Order: sequence, then structure tokens, then C-alpha cells
Amino acid sequence: MNPSALSRQNELNCSTSGSGCIVDCGTSNLCVSELSVFYRDHSAVRDVSLNIPTNEITAIVGPSGCGKSSFLHSLNRLTDLIPGCRVTGSIRLCDGTEITHPQADILSLRRRVGIVFQRPNPFPQSIRRNFEIPLKEHGWHNRDIPDRMEAVLRDVGLWDEVSDRLHKSAIALSGGQQQRLCIARALALDPEVILFDEPCSALDPIASGVVEDLIHSLKGKVTVAIVTHNLAQARRIADHAAVFWVRDNAGALVESGPAARVFSDPLDPDAALYLSGARG
Amino acid sequence: MPTLAPPQKRRVFPVLGDRVFGAFGMAAALLSFGLFAWIVWDLARLGFPQLSWGYFTGEVEDSGRAGGIGPLLVSSLLILVCCLGLVIPLGVGCALWLSEFVKRRSVAARLVTGGVDLLASVPSIVFGLFGMVFFGQVLGMGFSILAGGLTLACMILPILVRTTLSALESLPADLRPAAAALGLTNTTAIAKILLPAALPGIVIGITLGIGRALSETAALIFTSGYSIRWPETLGDSGRSLSVHIYDLALNVAGGNTMAASSALVLLALILLVNSVAVALSEHWLRRRHQTP
Ligand SMILES: Nc1ncnc2c1ncn2[C@@H]1O[C@H](COP(=O)(O)OP(=O)(O)OP(=O)(O)O)[C@@H](O)[C@H]1O
Ligand SMILES: [Mg+2]
Repeated sequence: MNPSALSRQNELNCSTSGSGCIVDCGTSNLCVSELSVFYRDHSAVRDVSLNIPTNEITAIVGPSGCGKSSFLHSLNRLTDLIPGCRVTGSIRLCDGTEITHPQADILSLRRRVGIVFQRPNPFPQSIRRNFEIPLKEHGWHNRDIPDRMEAVLRDVGLWDEVSDRLHKSAIALSGGQQQRLCIARALALDPEVILFDEPCSALDPIASGVVEDLIHSLKGKVTVAIVTHNLAQARRIADHAAVFWVRDNAGALVESGPAARVFSDPLDPDAALYLSGARG
Repeated sequence: MPTLAPPQKRRVFPVLGDRVFGAFGMAAALLSFGLFAWIVWDLARLGFPQLSWGYFTGEVEDSGRAGGIGPLLVSSLLILVCCLGLVIPLGVGCALWLSEFVKRRSVAARLVTGGVDLLASVPSIVFGLFGMVFFGQVLGMGFSILAGGLTLACMILPILVRTTLSALESLPADLRPAAAALGLTNTTAIAKILLPAALPGIVIGITLGIGRALSETAALIFTSGYSIRWPETLGDSGRSLSVHIYDLALNVAGGNTMAASSALVLLALILLVNSVAVALSEHWLRRRHQTP
């Protein structure tokens, strides 16, 4: 990579003065700086700095194993669940809350930064219980829960399909419906950010299209970061794009910026090949 | 190039082999069922004529040669209640700790699983002696329903721990991240998501335990004792149905037919418990996978 490209890229990654910056969040909801993720002594992600702008959609793409999931999961401390996993660096929410802080209130943090996984994972209970359990945990009153549930089920376009069987098992829904239920469940907690880790890759093309439209419709309401292997999908919905690549045995951010620019005119040669479909 | 034929294994009477094997299997199956049928038939033939309403409510008379088994049913039930009261929290708690709170390979986890597995192989008479000394003498319970129930609890603990543990371990792995991702505490995740999901397995464990407890004799002889009076408190000695059968068969001349009657009742009880458990877990499974 040539030096001028490097500097231009840094400028895109971090809106203020280079690395180590106390990131001026500006219009960003999540400001990640110098984030590294280690599994025991293997480093999966190294020194990633990236701003995720408020109420817009940021797509994260890159070949398998380049640390996209590790990066995403560190954004709401799900990496804490993995024994031997260690995260260094800084992730700030727009109000200055430091997510990586050891004393951070993880439970309320995970309410503010939700996540939807590749495989739909509703609880094996009724559709209603899937909302009651998390809403009660975060202090919603019993009398407000039905309205809240209806509102988010309408948001994901599931209300008409399930309103007459809220007492039935969520596992009996189709894969696409289950995934929309999981998105609704995450939305119910009124998060500021929702992370999506390949939300469509376990679904058939039609269900995948429905979920994609749904994610697209979240634009302007909530900050979205989505990992996807589907470059066409990333092109369709993303406002911003970040390309990860393996450098020196660790995942690194090699390209980021407005989606239109990244997809049409990538600076990094690996990213260019990957985005043109020639590699990866 | 000529294609090579695959090497042919020569089979003499290929069909005959299958037939012999099939016939052997069928014979074994018939024999197993025949054994069960014969036992039931024998018990019914000897024991059924004595069964009546009075038999279930009446007191034991003439060392069991006459009268009924009313007090024994009550004692058995109370022993079972004491047993379950201890073993359910203990067994489920232990399995939860092993599956949710410690690493599988840690020394502590291995010690506990090893200990529980060893318990499973201890003969029941040893539990009886232990219960007599520990609950009866050290804790001063004497010969009592409580001492018997608690001894049985120790005996069936491994069954419950093992079944609960395997129920928890066979839950979908992504339930835990799903709960964590919604900002649920561990307590909520366990109480509201993991335990309900594992419930069918736990109930099966409890049922197996009840079956074991109902039929146990050796662990009860020295702990809950022989008394055939109506029990008034958990501190009273009370004879269980299984001990009664043992006593009639061994110590009471001419007690065989009454022993068969009691055995028939016991068998029916165990079958009842088992079918309730099977029905319950099928009900849960159906509800979980209900088609839309
Ligand atoms: N739980 C784990 N323990 C150890 N190493 C891990 C673990 N999870 C991921 N890794 C390693 O970290 C690196 C990055 O993995 P990660 O899952 O973040 O990649 P990814 O970009 O999401 O890949 P994919 O596109 O296949 O989902 C890989 O080398 C992987 O082997
Ligand atoms: Mg991944």
C-alpha cells in the first residue's frame, strides 16, 4: 500500500488526529479506536479504528476468518463469554460511555447495543415470553409490555403473521420469521445500536430479501453495523463500508469510508480485488 | 482400459444369514417380553384376589397375613416426599453449577462429577448403613420417615444430577449468547430460559429416581424402619411398601400371597409414575415443536 493511500485511509478511519486520538465522535454513535481482540495469544483483530455513524448503516465485509465477528462481538462485550478472549483499545458510545472499561455496566450496555446473530435464536418458549423476559429484566412494567411487543412486531412486519398465536412456540415459526422475531426482540429494548452478524446467510433468498429490507428500513432510526458476505447486499443497503483483511496473521481494517466510494474506488489493492469479486 | 470388476465376496446362502439373524432377534425379543408377562401374570394370579378397597385403606393385621396396607402407602408417600424435597434442589443445583458456573475440565468440576458417579455405584445397603449412622444417630433422627427419605435422596442424587446435566448440555448452544446479548443476568437466563428448556429432561430424571426410590428396600430397613402404625409425623418410623414385601416374603410364614398383592400395587404405582412422566414430556415436546 502506498503512503498517500495510507494517510488518506487513516483520515477516513478516525476523524481527528491519527491514532491514539480521543476520538471526536461528532456524528458517530460508536467510536472504536485501536481495538485489538486476542484469543489467548493469537490476535484475531489488530488495531482497528473505525467510527460507526449515528442512525446510518455501516457494512463490514471481508473474507472468512478476518475477524469481522470478533470485532462485532467486542462492540457489546459478547467476547466476555469466550474463555481466553481479551480485548484492548477503546470503544465509546456517543455519550462518552467506555464500553471496554472493566467496570462498565455490561447489562445496560447490552441493552443499548443489541446484536442479531447468523442463526435465528428465539427462546424455546412462546412468542410473547420472548418479549416479556428481556423487557421485564430491563424494567418495563407488565402493563406496557403488550403495546411494546405489538409496536416492534409491526416494525418488523410480523404482527399480522403472528398476532393470533402469540402464545404459541417461537420455534414453530419459519427461519425468516424467527430472524425477524429476533430483530424485533432486539428492537424492543430500544437500543441505540444494533449489530448484525450475517443475519441473512441462514435464510433462503426470499426470506433474506425480507430481512434485508427490514434492516434497510432501520436507517434513520437506529445505528446499524452489519457483517455480510453478500457484497451486493452491502452495496444495496450500506451508507458506509469497512473492509477487513488478514495482515500479519491478524484481522485488520484495510479500507473504510462512504459505501459508494469504497465500492467504486477502493484504495487498498486487496480490498479492490475482493470487492471486484476477483478474490476472497 | 478394461474396467476392473470389484472383488466379490462369496456369500453362501446370503438370504439364510439374514433369516437366522432375524429369527434370533425375534426370539430374544419374545423371551424378554415373555419374562415380563410371566412376572405380571404370576403376581396377578397370586395377589389380585386379595385386592379390595379395604386392602388399600386397612391396617396391617396378623403380621401382614390379613388386613391391608393403608399405613404403608402413607409412609411410602411421605418417604418419597422427604426424598424429593431434598434431592430436587440438591441434584438440580449441582447440575446447574457443573454446567453453568465452572469450567468442565476444572479440578473442582472433575471432583464433583467423579464423586457423583462413584455414589451411583455404591450398593444401596451401604446407603442404608450410612443413613442409619448419619441421619439416625449423628443427626438424631432415629428410625424415622425423614431419615429414610433423606437416605433415599442420597441414593438417587446421581441419577438426577446426570439426567439434569445432560438435559442442560443438550440445549442449543446459542441460547446462552442469545440471553447474554439481551442484557439478561445469569440468574434470569438460568431461571427463565435454561431451566424451562431443560424441564422435560429433569422430569425424566425425577421419574427414574422415584422408580428407584419406590422399589428400594435395603436403604430403608435401617433408616425408616418397620413400624406398621399410621404415621403421625415425619419423625415416626414407617414401613414402606417395598420393605413390607421383603418382610412378608422372608419372615412371615404364609405371607406369599399378600406379598404378591403388595408387589402388584407397587408395580402399578411405578407404571403409573412412568406413564405420567412420559405423557408430560411428550406434551412439552409437542408444545415446543408445534406446527404453525
Ligand atoms: N472462540 C474462538 N477461539 C479461538 N479463536 C477464535 C475464536 N473465534 C474466532 N477465532 C479466530 O479468530 C479469527 C477471526 O475469526 P472471526 O470469527 O472473527 O472471523 P470472521 O471474519 O467472522 O469469519 P467468518 O466470515 O467466517 O464468520 C479466526 O482466525 C478464528 O480462528
Ligand atoms: Mg463471522
